[in-house]
Amino acid sequence: MTLYESMFLLDNAVVRESWNKAKSAVTDTLEKHGAKVRTIRRWDERKLAYSIKNKKRGTFALCYYEMGTENIAPMRREFDLSDRVMRYLILRTDEVPATELELHQAEAAPDFAVPAPPPDDLVEPEMGPIGQGDDEGSPQEIMVPDLDEVGGDDGDRPRGKKNEGKPSTEA
Amino acid sequence: MASSRRPALPPINKSSCEDHIPNYKDTDHLRKFLTAHGQILSRKRTGYCAQCQKALKQGIKRARHMGLLPFVG
Repeated sequence: MTLYESMFLLDNAVVRESWNKAKSAVTDTLEKHGAKVRTIRRWDERKLAYSIKNKKRGTFALCYYEMGTENIAPMRREFDLSDRVMRYLILRTDEVPATELELHQAEAAPDFAVPAPPPDDLVEPEMGPIGQGDDEGSPQEIMVPDLDEVGGDDGDRPRGKKNEGKPSTEA
Repeated sequence: MASSRRPALPPINKSSCEDHIPNYKDTDHLRKFLTAHGQILSRKRTGYCAQCQKALKQGIKRARHMGLLPFVG
């Protein structure tokens, strides 16, 4: 059995329902693959540096557990397919820090309440910088006459060239 | 002939680098070792030894994977 440290990025939608439900998304999978969970706690809820699965915010859970090395690969596959776990990081470690044990016990206390995540975790569907700068109506108005003009010019050009070319060959 | 090279900026880490190597959870500390565009600073700028720079790089890359630090910008 090897001691591992893992961080999981959990979907705020699940955390909003219940922190225990979100935590069980991790612990159930770990225990299914034969892990002995030493500590698990809410590390932080913060804004992400870049959007992941169309989410701007996420809740991080930090977990220490013992597990056989042969079970890591099937566990990774399960986390890859999970909707509730957006990202995970599995690292081997030597010992569980004393502060982690304290914080884990503090979270297990009955009066511990997890603050609800803020509501703005979804990425708003926006147009690119070109769409933001211009009004919605104006590009359509410009595009339609432009296409007609371009089509008209193209139609005239070959005819003009042909007419110009013919006299030169005849002469 | 005068050299056109700009003088090197002083290293960020003034003390011994082995005192504290930030891991992926120390995002505020790690952010000091990134440029405005999110690139990892060189050893010349960080003042770290090769071993510590490698640990720093690993920490930044782990934090980037978890969405704690940006890849770009």
